[in-house]
Amino acid sequence: MIGIRRGADTARGGHLPDTVALFPTCLGDLVMPDTVEHAQHALGVCGLDVRPVRGGTCCGQPAFNAGFHPQARRVARVSLRALAQTTGPIVVPAGSCAAMMSRHWVGLFAGDRDAELARQVAGRVVEFSAVLATHLDVLERGHLSWPGTAGYHDSCHMLRELRLSGEPRAVLGCVRDLELVPLASADRCCGFGGTFSVRYPEVSVAMADSKLDDARSRGVDVLISADPGCLMQLGGRAERTGETPRVIHIATLLHEAGLR
Amino acid sequence: MSEDPLTSSTFAERARVQLAKPFLREAVPRATDIAVRDLRERFAGHDYDGLRELGREIRARTMADLEDALATLTDALVANGIHVHHAADAAAAREHIRRICRESDAARVVKVKSMATEEIALNPALVADGLEVTETDLGEYVVQLDGDRPSHIIAPIIHKTRAEVRETLSRVAGRELPDDASELTDFARERLRDAFMDADVGISGANFGVAETGTIVLVTNEGNGRMCTSMPRIHIALMGIERVIPTLEDLSVMLPLITGAGTGQLITSYVSMLSGPRGEGEPDGPEAMHVVLLDNGRRALLGTEYQEVLHCIRCGACQNVCPVYRQVGGHAYGWVYGGPIGAVLTPLFLGTEAGGELPQASSLCGACDDICPVKIPLHDLLLQLRRTRVDDGAAPWRERLAAELWAWAWSSPRRYRVVTRVGGEVVRVMAAAGLMSSLGPLGRWARGRTLPTPARRPFHSRGERDV
Amino acid sequence: MSDRTQLWRMAPTELAPHEDALTRFQTELERAGGSSVCVGPGELVGEITATLAAAGAHRIALTADLGDARPVIAQALEIARYDVVDYDAVADDRAAVRDLDATVTGCLAAVAATGSIVTGATGAGRAGALVAPTHVCVVETRRLVDGLASLMRLAPRLGAGSMMALQTGPSRTADIEKTLIVGVHGPKRVHVVLLDGVLDD
Repeated sequence: MIGIRRGADTARGGHLPDTVALFPTCLGDLVMPDTVEHAQHALGVCGLDVRPVRGGTCCGQPAFNAGFHPQARRVARVSLRALAQTTGPIVVPAGSCAAMMSRHWVGLFAGDRDAELARQVAGRVVEFSAVLATHLDVLERGHLSWPGTAGYHDSCHMLRELRLSGEPRAVLGCVRDLELVPLASADRCCGFGGTFSVRYPEVSVAMADSKLDDARSRGVDVLISADPGCLMQLGGRAERTGETPRVIHIATLLHEAGLR
Repeated sequence: MSEDPLTSSTFAERARVQLAKPFLREAVPRATDIAVRDLRERFAGHDYDGLRELGREIRARTMADLEDALATLTDALVANGIHVHHAADAAAAREHIRRICRESDAARVVKVKSMATEEIALNPALVADGLEVTETDLGEYVVQLDGDRPSHIIAPIIHKTRAEVRETLSRVAGRELPDDASELTDFARERLRDAFMDADVGISGANFGVAETGTIVLVTNEGNGRMCTSMPRIHIALMGIERVIPTLEDLSVMLPLITGAGTGQLITSYVSMLSGPRGEGEPDGPEAMHVVLLDNGRRALLGTEYQEVLHCIRCGACQNVCPVYRQVGGHAYGWVYGGPIGAVLTPLFLGTEAGGELPQASSLCGACDDICPVKIPLHDLLLQLRRTRVDDGAAPWRERLAAELWAWAWSSPRRYRVVTRVGGEVVRVMAAAGLMSSLGPLGRWARGRTLPTPARRPFHSRGERDV
Repeated sequence: MSDRTQLWRMAPTELAPHEDALTRFQTELERAGGSSVCVGPGELVGEITATLAAAGAHRIALTADLGDARPVIAQALEIARYDVVDYDAVADDRAAVRDLDATVTGCLAAVAATGSIVTGATGAGRAGALVAPTHVCVVETRRLVDGLASLMRLAPRLGAGSMMALQTGPSRTADIEKTLIVGVHGPKRVHVVLLDGVLDD
């Protein structure tokens, strides 16, 4: 692939101890709690003891990306301190949040009283599908089945900051009957971009249409992503235009395929 | 064009205009996809990232002591018999060029495509002096005839249909030209041949200036770069000071980068390396050569967190991968440079009042970072510009208030739970009542997308314990 | 400074170790829309004449970088009823230059990895290799260098004068809807005659 940038190695998975914390993220918590539950169960099937984190709110990314660092810090601090109470890997079912926490918290808290905490927590953050990708044998044995065709959308932060693209595809490869169709625009931004989506809604929607048109032209039944922001954007647009495909989280696909 | 788009309209307004153009919506993705595909093919079997790193290192080393490199360049240019002029800003650069034309009794000027000359708005100034100015890149020629602006760093008329080009050239021809790209090009070729032969002055930019040998490097495919620097008796090269590179050997890294990233070609049809006016015993060439070294905001970036933007070699690759540029094209950005590099350069060169909005017009996807042939961290520079905007107090009070309220609400788990429960109710009720469009940002979301209804039972209220 | 000994791994404008320069040159030139042929000294004039005939060219200019071969080629072309001039003699005459159908030049060097010929202001002039619709370039194979790095190292010793130019195939544009058009301001036809020998013989 052209252009390699180093991502946080832990966030990409690797051998993990059995107890993991699960950080739902604000979008997961408020808008897609079922998806977070699917993720929780999937991790459980892999033999992990999953402890959902209480007392966290948001990773601060929306404010951070908009340039409001003090506000981002204020909110992220709550999550940081809640996560500091955990030990072991922190699994995050959202690519952009995992990237924010593992790659940008250190900078956000540089020179702050919680700087050391941020460094320590950032090193433990790992993205959900990266974890599953280290348990492919379990997934294979699960006799997962989802007959149909799917397209996978690489969310930007997961692709470019965490360098995770083979992992979710390998996970989906364990689902029998699921035909993963490569999308021409798989690595192109869906148009969410946080506040961008409401600052420039027409451009944002045009970007979503570009992706959905690509998926539709290949006749996929479902479009899969590992990021709630992308899911809201693409799913919201697909729903508004009353058309296919369904847009779902990878954890939900696995749940529907029988991973419980 | 007399009206300045940057100050007379917003990005959103300009984007809306572009989104309504069916040809643009089809042409820009097609052209940019081809360019990106060709770049990837060009480097298949080669280590593009390794070459990018060499390129980054050459540029970084140069910027670490730009004044030294420029001093070496200036000395070498002068030793070659080239007149060197230093221009602090656009006005000074225009003045140098106007004076050279005046002092050489010039009447006709031919130009090679140069973003730097666009940056200083050169053509109107020369025309006002009574000079006949002809752009000689086919695309720039058409742009000039239409009173339009280029919309891409490398492919100036990416936004024009063949029919539009035919219409423009037919107008000049005084007859209906055939609807055939080859014939249209032949017509332009003949016209421009006259221009080359009759011109007194040839004006170009400079893709690179080699300090070691005092050499100006131009890359083109059409051959007009060569014609403009061979036929007229005066050659003026306008060079941004950041385009200096230390040695000729550095070209063995920079040329494949600029060409591969710019057009996906192995090498352009023509690479001209100009080291002086016509020499002893040479059969042709200009009797005098001038180089105008342009600052215009570049030096001000040295030593700042934005210094790396000076590494840019104006290849246009970032525009080719940008998902926003793909939808709206170059004109939406309102100035000379569009796409990611435009979103960074415009506020830095023109100030936050004119260009401050542009860093917001990005979804921060980072594709530009991955493709930039000299590894400019455009994504981080955009983030930095957004942060600077807030820190400098340039963010509107509504935004600051929203950020404060959000931070207040979400900086305590209890407040978060209460606010999101109440807020969730409000959103659900308004969605049910069809009142989404009146909810500010949520309304703007809802214009094209359904808003996901906040869950009645958020994740934090599930499970055995509640904090 | 970073290690550039492995430049060939990174830049497609370099030759790989053990790669044949001549083959690569011809391949790249062809890809760029030009053509080439290898000849011995005895076949040079014949090849030039045949190329000009095929192009339907009549008014020909020859440049100084043909060296001692220039008068020989000129004589042969005159006998074959071509209208031949020395480029140096007409270079400043706009009308004469405009009228040229073809130019025949030598070169200072040729770059294998890119299929490029390199001319200088001293030999071919600034526009000698550029200005006519057909360009025939005689490249002595001893002048072939591997890639851009070799060329740039050699450049100061080539004696190019005020301009050194790389030319690769015919001129082109894709400005109109990305349709590739060949032959804009530079030549439409580029034919390289690779001479296994020396021009000054």
